[in-house]
Amino acid sequence: MGVVSRRSVLRGSLGLVAAGTLARPHIANAAAKTATVWWTQGFVPEEDAAFRKVVADYQKASGNRIDYSIIPFAPLRQKLISALTSGVVPDVSDIPAIQINAQEAWSGKFLDVSDVVETQKSKYLPTALLGCQFYNGVAKKRSFYGVPYKGAVIPFHYWGDLVEKAGYKLSDVPKTWDAFLDFFRPMQTKLRAQGMRHVYSYGWEISTVGDDPTNTFHAWLIAYGGQGLVTKDGKLHANDPQVREAAIKALTRLATDFKEGYVPPGAVNWNDADDNNAFHAKQVVIDFDGTISTEVALYHNKKEYDAIVTHGLPLSNDGKALPSQFFTGTATIPSGAKNVAVAKEFLAYLIQPKVNNEFLKGGLGRWLPAMPELTKTDPWWLDPSDPHRVAYVRQGLYSPTIPYFYAYNPAYAQVMTEHTWNVAWSDIVTGGMTPQQATDKALKRLEAIFAQYPIQQA
Amino acid sequence: MTTTTADIGLTAAPDRQRMRRAARRWRLLQKVGVALLSLVLIVWTLVPIYNMVMVSLEGHDDVFSSRVAPADPSLHGYWLVFTQGYWYLQYFWHQYANSIYLGVAVTFFTLLIGSLTSFAISRMRIRYGWVVTNAALLTYVIPASFLSIPFYRLMQEYGMMNNIWSVIAALVTFATPYAIFIFQNYGAAIPIELDESARIDGASPLQIYLRIYLPLMAPALVAVGTYALLLAWNDYLYQFLLLESKRSMTVPVALAQFLNSDEAPWNYMMATAVIYALPPIATYYMFRSKMTAGLTMGGVKG
Amino acid sequence: MDGTQVLPTTQTVSTQALPGLRARRGLWRALRGELQGSEYTWALAFLVPYIAVFLVFVIYPVVYGFWMGSEPSLYANLFSDPIYLKTVVNTLLYLAIGVNVKMFLALLLSGFFMRPGWWTKALLMIFVLPWAVPAMPIFISIHWMLNGDYGFLNNALWTFFHVNGPSWLDTRWFALGSDIVSYIWKWMPFWTVIFIAGRMAIPQEIYDAAKVDGATGIRAFVHINFPLLANLYFVCTLLSTIFTVGDFTTVYFISGGGPAMSTHVLATLGVLQYAFDMAQPRLGVAAVMTALPLVIPLVILLMRKLKTAQVQL
Repeated sequence: MGVVSRRSVLRGSLGLVAAGTLARPHIANAAAKTATVWWTQGFVPEEDAAFRKVVADYQKASGNRIDYSIIPFAPLRQKLISALTSGVVPDVSDIPAIQINAQEAWSGKFLDVSDVVETQKSKYLPTALLGCQFYNGVAKKRSFYGVPYKGAVIPFHYWGDLVEKAGYKLSDVPKTWDAFLDFFRPMQTKLRAQGMRHVYSYGWEISTVGDDPTNTFHAWLIAYGGQGLVTKDGKLHANDPQVREAAIKALTRLATDFKEGYVPPGAVNWNDADDNNAFHAKQVVIDFDGTISTEVALYHNKKEYDAIVTHGLPLSNDGKALPSQFFTGTATIPSGAKNVAVAKEFLAYLIQPKVNNEFLKGGLGRWLPAMPELTKTDPWWLDPSDPHRVAYVRQGLYSPTIPYFYAYNPAYAQVMTEHTWNVAWSDIVTGGMTPQQATDKALKRLEAIFAQYPIQQA
Repeated sequence: MTTTTADIGLTAAPDRQRMRRAARRWRLLQKVGVALLSLVLIVWTLVPIYNMVMVSLEGHDDVFSSRVAPADPSLHGYWLVFTQGYWYLQYFWHQYANSIYLGVAVTFFTLLIGSLTSFAISRMRIRYGWVVTNAALLTYVIPASFLSIPFYRLMQEYGMMNNIWSVIAALVTFATPYAIFIFQNYGAAIPIELDESARIDGASPLQIYLRIYLPLMAPALVAVGTYALLLAWNDYLYQFLLLESKRSMTVPVALAQFLNSDEAPWNYMMATAVIYALPPIATYYMFRSKMTAGLTMGGVKG
Repeated sequence: MDGTQVLPTTQTVSTQALPGLRARRGLWRALRGELQGSEYTWALAFLVPYIAVFLVFVIYPVVYGFWMGSEPSLYANLFSDPIYLKTVVNTLLYLAIGVNVKMFLALLLSGFFMRPGWWTKALLMIFVLPWAVPAMPIFISIHWMLNGDYGFLNNALWTFFHVNGPSWLDTRWFALGSDIVSYIWKWMPFWTVIFIAGRMAIPQEIYDAAKVDGATGIRAFVHINFPLLANLYFVCTLLSTIFTVGDFTTVYFISGGGPAMSTHVLATLGVLQYAFDMAQPRLGVAAVMTALPLVIPLVILLMRKLKTAQVQL
């Protein structure tokens, strides 16, 4: 009894699950166990409903109880951090802020979940797997500290009707980076001439709040060739001239757009929701925002929904395909969790392809599957009648992708929360620095931060 | 006959007229000054409130317009809140009840604990009572928002997360020292002989507290009660940190959810805010007159 | 009647010698003071609730907070962070300007509201609204109102005065100014009411006597009001400073610490940025601890003021 039978139950159920069938975990233990689960509230009610369904189905299948709380992402982040600090942790927690997984794995605050990931490992997108392996500074090893169950990339979103109103044709949208961005620039003047007094061309997120600003900078950085800033071995290449050039170009471009008045001045204070709000209010023509939540929010307004164009990354200026940063959405088991077996069972259940697919579909496709085969087996994902989803899926699962830098080195999680690059942008725009000075200052700060995270490579 | 008015100390008629005119001018100036000041105060006070009400009456897209008044004011937002018709507002009435419960509980316990403590210290004059008074002040050494981090951990450890009592505890802790001071000051005007004669008559301290102290302290109780209630309704951080489930949260926390949304239904948010603002405003106006009396020491003489 | 009576305390028994020098019976009587037997139990019983609250919800968190902030390396981190230094400047400005302007205006307005007549009373009723309206929603309303592009303030400036208002929240100094003005807007009414109560406590006889002597208006203010209110004003300023150091809600909702984290105050930086956003709660507590050298002297000053002088609160 006791521990032995629980373990054999876990092994047995994981084994069944690995066979790829919709397993009904074998219950040897008559006493049902309860696990506490904290989950992030979605941006639309359908996401929460989908999660509740998964929980209900799991409870029915396993006989265990899930004591779950659905919490908006900002309080959940606070709550989780506090819990991990104090040691009073739930059994499962969704990751509400993208850096937390790397940050806390570094401090050894999460359990190694390789066994859970193993059950579906072959099905995952390789980039997705890279994005949930973190370096544990306490155990001094790299392993899976989060169970991937969703993914996201960052597309461009623009109003097709505004483009046409400004007198341009959607078919004329250029294919390379700078040309693509420049295409939208003159639209502001044309639209204002038609009475849209407060419209701006670009809705770039450039504040120091939230993740959108860091996503923006890094996409621009990669577009100009700065992908080598952090390499897979976790090393920072601050002195690489190509990286430095790319950073300077990215900052220059973003600062110029703002200084010349093509971005709403309030953007310096935008949080992650404000750029979407500005976009919905048609205050901007194009914005750059993670997932298709911008579109999904208007799902019930067919006219508006159809007017938006979702556009993956254009080619680089020399015609090469640009990799998108792929975010691997994970759920974790904190160290010190009391019901690890149930936690692992629940997560294994969640990532079964059929369950995972239903769950992500229920959320209206705001999140991508981390397993490409789901888009092949279920025609919903590539259904041509919804061009948003198609573009999004293609960008995430059928185009080049790279994981976020924090997967290579947890120091980058701190860089992101400090918004070092966005502070650099601010240094140029309000602080009077040149892009070169701002870049060097940022790179110096990066070096200082990386020094605090010594990684021993295996 | 040639005694001039100056001789007998009266001012001459033209001088008197000039003085009267000057006095009139001065009064006029005063009236204009008062009018101007009143205008400034009214505009200053009401602009943010007007904005809140205005947004609550607007349609969804009007929020981003450049109008100063809603083009098409509608109570649709309010209706939505009343009928809990929006997903963030699903449990609105329950959360509103939580807020009221919080306010009442904080008020009650602040009054209870504050009055008991000040009674023991200043009426019963317990030795070393001043230690408690000074210790109470120490509560303010680490201001409220700072204490939130350890407090949060504490509540997690005690399993009091998502429990309104954790917020009540926090707010009572911060309101009580102030209450103790008000009570001590106000109570100083009540002669101690009353207590002593009651004691001689054989009354127990509890009876003195209930029959003499509390009734005489009524205005101070009202003042402190209003203060405590408004403290609870003005608080955000502790409610936000300690309450997250839909059923346990209070209205400010529910409102904060709107800030997460991609959709920006600002009009619903402000409609919710207006409804949330009504109880404290009503409470203040009901007890307004008692409040000033309670803050004074026994009222104005003469 | 000069407003400075001695606070009723147990001063009368403080002349007894230290317990350690007396017999045990003396010790017992010394501790009990004037209270006998069951009365003493009652007094203790009355004190127990607050003492319990204090121990559990003040001492424990404070001690835990001190422990959290006790690592020296945290402070090294802190002082090397340029954002931190900006924040200290912001906090000092916020306190110096916010508290003092608010208090001074409250004092002046309290005089205004003492005027007789229905209009003043009606005006006071409206004037107190900012205090009664809950903080969080009204600050959000102000935040939108100050939006450079579509906020009500700029809309109104354009509609009525054809002036293009600046972006109130998009540059550091405007944003900080907006924070301070919003803060004053919200809390000035409360302190005005306190001062009104203070003025009402000055007996009419004094005014009458002064008027006979020919002192009215400004003279009355300087020679009567001011000395009597000075104590109250001083104590209120201290109290308000202490409250404001911990004020989180205003800055959080009005400027959010932006743009580019340039308008943070210690409360928002410590609690929001460090403790929760950056997942370093100990750094957050450390940031907060650095405010103690300012706060502790204020509290001590307050304690002494309240002990020795009967203050009209």
